[in-house]
Amino acid sequence: MTFDKITKDGRLWAVRFDENTDNEFIRTIDQWDDVQWLRAFFIENINDLIAYFKISDINIAISDTIEDSDRLQRIILDISPEADLNRIFRPLDNNQASDVMLQKEKARLKRKFGHSSWLRLYAIKLVSGVYIITGGAIKLTATMQEREHTSRELVKLERVRNFLLQENVIDEAGFADYMTEL
Amino acid sequence: MDNDMKTTIEKLEKYASSTPSKWREALEYRQENKTWLRYSQRIAMLMLDKMDELGINQKQLAEMMSCSQQYISKILKGRENLSLETLSKIEGALGISIIKEEQVAV
Repeated sequence: MTFDKITKDGRLWAVRFDENTDNEFIRTIDQWDDVQWLRAFFIENINDLIAYFKISDINIAISDTIEDSDRLQRIILDISPEADLNRIFRPLDNNQASDVMLQKEKARLKRKFGHSSWLRLYAIKLVSGVYIITGGAIKLTATMQEREHTSRELVKLERVRNFLLQENVIDEAGFADYMTEL
Repeated sequence: MDNDMKTTIEKLEKYASSTPSKWREALEYRQENKTWLRYSQRIAMLMLDKMDELGINQKQLAEMMSCSQQYISKILKGRENLSLETLSKIEGALGISIIKEEQVAV
């Protein structure tokens, strides 16, 4: 497992798993721009699309995904050295108020019109303002555990988190805090 | 940048990939070519709808258009800058109209 810098200053990274040739950020974005992949995905998940978003036209779902992915790409491309990444990522658990070390986070878009965005980037927060993207998903259901493709993202988050702990990437004090949280 | 941040980033630097990712170039390409990419994506959607309706797969379409299956796969991703020749072949093979002729006032 290695890591690619997304911002030059090293505040945002993306994991590159040994079995893949590129990092999880670009691999996710590639899927969200691939019409054939998106069509197959929405056909497979048509029941969730109808039940949670009241959308039955797959081409509308594809267009909305491409549009939201484009906005997300611009946000990442436009991150300035002064930008506060804590404003892009939110705790994965909506009910979680306090921080835990190596917290799992998500980036979620706010749409101006129509349904809320189903795109999610998942990340681990190392310390305040430093994040590692571990993947992303089209989340149509209320919880991640409900579907295989979102469950896989939870596994990836855990895999990266365990690696960082094993390799002592976080500092001693931070590690102690994390242990206390456990 | 505070000390906590610096120390953590320095530790992570040791695990940086040996070959840099070209993610930024890939995203900038998409931004610069967004206009025609949207056309390409719409054409891919139209083609996939029609292929489903006619019950034909990529291999069959490749044969009908005398091109490789790999090329059809690229077109269906919605990332190809299609030539007029290819567009005509798609129209002919699937019986769809992609380029609508404009009415010219005489």
